Formats: sequence, C-alpha cells, structure tokens
Amino acid sequence: MISVYECGRYICMEQNEEQQRVERRREAATRAVEMRREAAASSKGDEDEQWWGSRREKMMTDIRPSLTVSGREIDFGVMALRFEVLGRFNRARAAQLTLPHFVCQTPLFMPVGTQGTIKGLTTNQLEEIGCQIILGNTYHLALRPTSELIDELGGLHKFMNWPRALLTDSGGFQMVVLILDRVSWTNLSAVEVSLLHLADITEKGVTFQSPVDGKPMLLTPEESIQIQNRIGADIIMALDDVVKTTITGPRIEEAMHRTLRWIDRCIAAHKRPREQNLFGIVQGGLDPVLRDICVKGLVDRNLPGYAIGGLAGGEDKDSFWRVVAQCTAALPEDKPRYVMGVGYPLDIVVCSALGADMYDCVYPTRTARFGTALVPEGVLKLKHQAMADDTRPIDPTCACMVCKNYTRAYIHCLVTKDAMGSQLLSYHNLYYMMQLSRNLHSSIVEGRFPEFVCSFLQKMFPKGDVPEWVCNAMDVAGIDISSCCAPFPSSKD
Amino acid sequence: MKFAVTALSGGRARAGVLHLGSSSGSCPNPIETPALLLSTRKGLPNFISPDLLPSLPSPDSHLLQFSPLHFLEGPSPKTISSIGGLHQMLGLHEYGLVAVARDSVQSLPECDSTNKIGASFETSSGRRLVKPVEYMEMISSMRPNLWSTLADEVPAWVSDKRNKTSAGGAVFGSIVGGSNVEERQQCAQEVAKRNVSGYWIGGFGLGESMDERPPLLNAVTVSHFSLNMEASILPLFDR
Ligand SMILES: [Zn+2]
Repeated sequence: MISVYECGRYICMEQNEEQQRVERRREAATRAVEMRREAAASSKGDEDEQWWGSRREKMMTDIRPSLTVSGREIDFGVMALRFEVLGRFNRARAAQLTLPHFVCQTPLFMPVGTQGTIKGLTTNQLEEIGCQIILGNTYHLALRPTSELIDELGGLHKFMNWPRALLTDSGGFQMVVLILDRVSWTNLSAVEVSLLHLADITEKGVTFQSPVDGKPMLLTPEESIQIQNRIGADIIMALDDVVKTTITGPRIEEAMHRTLRWIDRCIAAHKRPREQNLFGIVQGGLDPVLRDICVKGLVDRNLPGYAIGGLAGGEDKDSFWRVVAQCTAALPEDKPRYVMGVGYPLDIVVCSALGADMYDCVYPTRTARFGTALVPEGVLKLKHQAMADDTRPIDPTCACMVCKNYTRAYIHCLVTKDAMGSQLLSYHNLYYMMQLSRNLHSSIVEGRFPEFVCSFLQKMFPKGDVPEWVCNAMDVAGIDISSCCAPFPSSKD
Repeated sequence: MKFAVTALSGGRARAGVLHLGSSSGSCPNPIETPALLLSTRKGLPNFISPDLLPSLPSPDSHLLQFSPLHFLEGPSPKTISSIGGLHQMLGLHEYGLVAVARDSVQSLPECDSTNKIGASFETSSGRRLVKPVEYMEMISSMRPNLWSTLADEVPAWVSDKRNKTSAGGAVFGSIVGGSNVEERQQCAQEVAKRNVSGYWIGGFGLGESMDERPPLLNAVTVSHFSLNMEASILPLFDR
C-alpha cells in the first residue's frame, strides 16, 4: 500500500491499526463509488454512452486521414484548440492559442478562481485586466455546487458568467495536498492525526474522505474526467499521481509510471474531445531519466497540450529550471506547454525563455490578501509603516485602475483590515501578471526579448545581483543577460 | 451647494434638486431628492470598487456618506491634505461626499462618555473622544461636499465662528434630541438660527420604536426651516 503521507515532510504513521482503518475506508469508498456507477449505468447511463460514442466516432472519422502516421493509426488526436507560433527567440515563443471560448496570446498567466470566482473581483474586472484563462479547482467545484449542478446550469462558463477560456485541474492534487496542508503540523491532535490518513493513492485512484460529510470517496482517472466533462472547461487536466519533487526513490518512479497508465484511462473516459482539450502531465520528479520516459510516453499519445507537473513544491531553483528546460526541449513545438503552479514573476520570465507558454498560481491574489503588491522592483509591503504617509501610487509605472486612483497611504489604511484592501491589491497584482504576459508576448513577437529580459532583471536586481540559477537558465535559453549582471567573482561555467 | 424645491405634494412632501458642484469641483451632476446616500467604509462603498460604481443607477447613486472617524488611524489629516482631499484620495471625482461622524456600524455615538470637551464614539479602534477642533481638522483636510456638525444632545458646537473655519463644503446643522419631542423642537429652533446650509436630523436608530419616529420628525420639520433648505435624515436608511 502506497500512501501520500509516506512522503517528504508528511509524517509517516506506521501503526497497523491506522492502516487497517484506511483500508476499511478505502474499501467502503470503492464499494460506494461502484454502486453509484452501477446505478447510473442501469438508468440513463447507457443512452449517454451510446450518444457520446456515436458522436466520438463521427469526429474520429472526420479527422482520421490526418491521424494516420506511418501506417499506425493514432486514436487520440481529436482536439479543440489551435496553437500558432507567432514569433520566437531561441527557445522562447509567443503564440496564439485558439480555444473554444477565447483566442489567447501566450505566454500567459492564469489566475486561480477556486470556487468559480476570484475573491473580490468580478468577471467584468477580470476581462478589463486582460485575463484570458481562469483556472477552476475541480475538487472544490465537485464538492460544491457539484459538477452535476454546474452541468445542469449550462457549464462553468455560464455558472460563473465568464465568457473567456477556462481550465480545470484534475482534482487529485487538491485532494492530496489541501487536506494534508490543512492539518497544523506543529500541533497534531488525535483528530488531525486521523486526517493524515484521509488521502491515499492506489492504482484505482485517489481515495479521500469528503470534508463536507466525512464519507470516503474515490477519485479515479475516469471520474476526474467525467466531472471535468460536466464542468465544461476549455482545457481539462489528466489525473496524475502527485508526489512532492523533494522526494526521491521508488515512489517517484511509481508515480511517473502510474501517471502514464492513468493517461490512457483519462483519454478513454474523455467524452468531449471536440469541445475540451485534455492535457497530459509530465511527472518524474527531479530525475531526468524518469522525466524523459514520461514526456515520450505522453507525446506518443498526441495530446492537445502538455503540462509540466510536480514542480513549485520546494525544490531548489536549479533543479526547477533544469526540469522545465528538459521537458520543453522534448515536447512538440506545435503544442502548448503549461508549467503548473508557477507564479513568481521571475520564474515566469525564466520558464518563458526556456519555451513554456502557460502558468497558474494563487500567489498574486494570496499575497494581495496579506498586503503585498507586485512591482517591477519585486514586492511592496503595504502594511509597512513607511506606507502610511506615502502619497505615491503602488507602482508609478502601472496603468491599472488602482495605480491610477490610489495612493500607498490609502491602501495602507485598508490592507488586512478591510475587504477593499485585498480587492484593490488583487486587482493590481493580477494586472501586473497580465501586463507581464503581454510584455513577454510582444517582446518575443517584436524580436526584442533579450532586451525585455534585461530590463526586467535590471529593475528587480538593480545591483546586478541576479541569482546564479537565473544566469544558468538564461545561458541555456541563449539569452545574453551580461549587461544586467554584476561580474561574479567565481561564476558561471 | 444649491438646493431648490421643484415640486410639493399636497402634504409636506417635496421633490427637489441638489447642486453640489462647489469649491472642490466634484460631483458636477445635480442630484434629485429625495435621495438615498450610499454607506461607505473608509470612503468606498463596501465591496464596490470605483470602477464598478458607474454600474449602479446614475445619478441616483452619486451621493456617498462617509465617516471621518474611519480615518482616525490614518491616513493623517496632513497626508489626506497633501493627497488633495478625500475625492482625490478615493478617486471619486464625480461623486458627492457627505461627512457624518456617526455611521451606525463602525462608529457609534457613545453618549455616556460625551462631554463638554467632545463627542464620544465607539470605533473599531476603541472608544474615542473627538473634540470639535479635531473634527474640523479632519473635515478641512477631507474637503467633503457636505458635512454635518459634530452632534450631541445640544448642538453646542454649531456657531458662525466655527463654520468660517471650514475649508469649503456646505455645513449641515445636526438636530438631535433622542426620543423627546420638546428637546427635538428646541434643538431645531436653535440650529435654525445658525448660518447653515441644511440640516442633519440624527439621533435615530438608537433604540426608539418605529412608531415614535413620525412625531419626532414632525416636530423638527414642521416650520423651523425655510423651504429651500435640505433636510437630511441620514441614519434611517441603514437601520
Ligand atoms: Zn497597478
């Protein structure tokens, strides 16, 4: 039995009693899910299956000729996107990504709207800011209001009144990480210890206890896709076996192989390939060999796009960019590449230089709630007493509604006390991320990407103390940043 | 400020137009009365950032009530002054701002502690005694379109002298007196003698019954004021 709490910082609970309890819970969960599925299948399930089946077959016939590669028929080539590279600079690329609900410009950043909303911002404001794709969390949406209700109400776009593109995650990561992260590590009570056993990954899927009613639930690759098919986002994510990158050894290898086995189950379960794009997720920890096997396996499936998963989990920066560089180099040129969970502006610039296209992170909105603004110089802590009498805008170079209207002094009196403080800061921070995306896109298209990178680094590191990992990554990306780096005493190899 | 009655009902009701466009140069559009004031928190309507305000009905929603006491912890009057007043600080140039110390939510009058020196309020930063001079300093720095005088049972602080110290904006005399009809009448008579542009009828929403309100309002609106003065009954809408 493999369980997530065997990993890394998660405390390993080896009492037999506890393990038996988990086993019992999982069996109960499996039974419940199977019973539910049988019940569903015996009613209108068959009809649905037939309808989708015939529809899928028709789609396949439509595009079959182009999918026969060297005599071998590839069965997974249906997609609902177009990816056109508009400009390149070495490995970096700027593209137009046409999705069912929006024509996007990459590189792009996707804010996270956990429950169909980004706290404190309306969908009108998100359009105004220039947001192209919003990420919805399948885990939260499936619990409340449930994917069935979203489906009944016409899908998530309609439900949240968002006309542009949406992406949903598989739900697995949230189940594993959120449940565990919710536990206070410093002060574990008996109840909390039992919570540690709530998420468990087996070949069938991810078992967890519903935080709503405590009932055991099993999320299989099939079920994750079914839920995401009901939610109806433009891009849906395959269920992967989530392991923290800081772990090494057989668990990482197992997770990678399982992710590959699960991708086929996801593809088989996906019933709306013409309206929704299923992205596969490259796993394999920090091991180049495992990453390589995983990339190749996924590329063989000819998916509409690919994500690089298992990063942004506390690994060192050099390992981080090397994994990104390896994956982007091995992924097809004509498909979008999405680095999951990456959201620091510096990381986005580095990953874009290495050829990645899409990013998501809660950082800009979460840090706003703590009173921190993103600025070209790095961050500005509005809580700081020095802000109390500062009559300048957050960022004098920013053209957003907040910077056009408000002083640091006013924001200072709001932050952490009034909802309006995090509303205004979230607005600015997301605007900053969107502006960064636009700048990356246009500088690549206009052939001045290195100049953009240098001016970005100069503002963030005015003394020229650009971190060595950035220098190393830019070296591999073929971007000369010597003009903004102070000469290192020992340095780059 | 200019106020003109445009129509009278057979009874005492009246419709009017309020022009605020003044020294502060804000709120260019006239406001029809009766008008509802939007309540605010630190000057901005709750959860509605200024870019979303235009989506509310216009110009009906162009009058905002704020409490200067929300800024007791900052920004300081000096900082607000150097920003250029509250309209500038809030980015609300098209809106009329009405200053009333009490807001019924975050800044409640605490009459037991109010004394000759100042008025006491229960605020988010604890109980605060606000002296008229402090209040006037806040008003001067914020430059609202309208402001009501600091109120207590007796409107002792409404004087011609104090009005002259204000940095523009129309002054509304505060009329209080709790649930006592005679007190209210006396207060209204006293305030009506002062050089004020309008009246803030306060002291409601503090435990009186709904049945008590009509006679109390009647007592103050009956005859003390000339027709072209605006009577504003502020706390009624948020209670
Ligand atoms: Zn801004």
